[in-house]
Amino acid sequence: MNKKELITSLKKIIKPYIQDQEAFKNLSEETDFINDLKINSANLVDVILDVEDEFDIEIDNKSMEKMLSVKAAIDIIETKLNKS
Amino acid sequence: MIGNDIIDLSLAKSESNWQRRGFLKKQFTENEQQLILAASNPFVLVWKLWSMKEAAYKVYVQQNELRFFAPKKFDCLLISENDGLVNFKSQTFYTSSIVTQDYIFTLGSTRKTTKAYTELVRPELIDIRIKSKLEDVTKFSASEIEQKKTTNRAPVYYYKNILLTKSCSISHHGNYGVFSLLYN
Repeated sequence: MNKKELITSLKKIIKPYIQDQEAFKNLSEETDFINDLKINSANLVDVILDVEDEFDIEIDNKSMEKMLSVKAAIDIIETKLNKS
Repeated sequence: MIGNDIIDLSLAKSESNWQRRGFLKKQFTENEQQLILAASNPFVLVWKLWSMKEAAYKVYVQQNELRFFAPKKFDCLLISENDGLVNFKSQTFYTSSIVTQDYIFTLGSTRKTTKAYTELVRPELIDIRIKSKLEDVTKFSASEIEQKKTTNRAPVYYYKNILLTKSCSISHHGNYGVFSLLYN
């Protein structure tokens, strides 16, 4: 899966949780889940669990700590996919 | 330093499913998970503990530059119906919660007792009410009081170059908004 495909799948995952449509439309690697997309912090764990299910990977606590932006999420997913 | 959190319980019910696989395990310590599963109302305890973690995190990030997502590392202890302790790294945060049928509010502080002023308001009125409260206290005109953000996006209020808030925490969820202030 290339980066573009990864971002497309990630967008599908986060769509139900976002509260800023404009930021979602302009989503880039720099987009922050909380500050830009206004995802409720209580829903961050849902994003993480959905990512685990979708990609069949396990996101450990250390990786989870950094999952605050599209870039961080992509980096983590890529690393885990390469390992499996 | 203070930090707060509010949860609209009807929204929490529709937005999140605490019973989904992995939800508790990822965010709550073993001890917290046991408390939740043994509780008469696990749903309310999930969100009470969550709000304690979030309030403590919001105190912590005002003192530190880095943002992160590690709810499980904020270890909650309930010491009474409303009061709790949240331990993170070597620090202890003191929390006080209000649980109603409609919302859960938690105020976290680095101190055991805090003089913070807290007001529950409609979410869209938070900024206006903070400015008018600061006007009451400082006598500076509300129209000239400005909100700024620290690098960690914590809100601070200024009149010209005078910092009016020692610590300020804002939270909103669904129909509920709240702010807590420590005056400078």
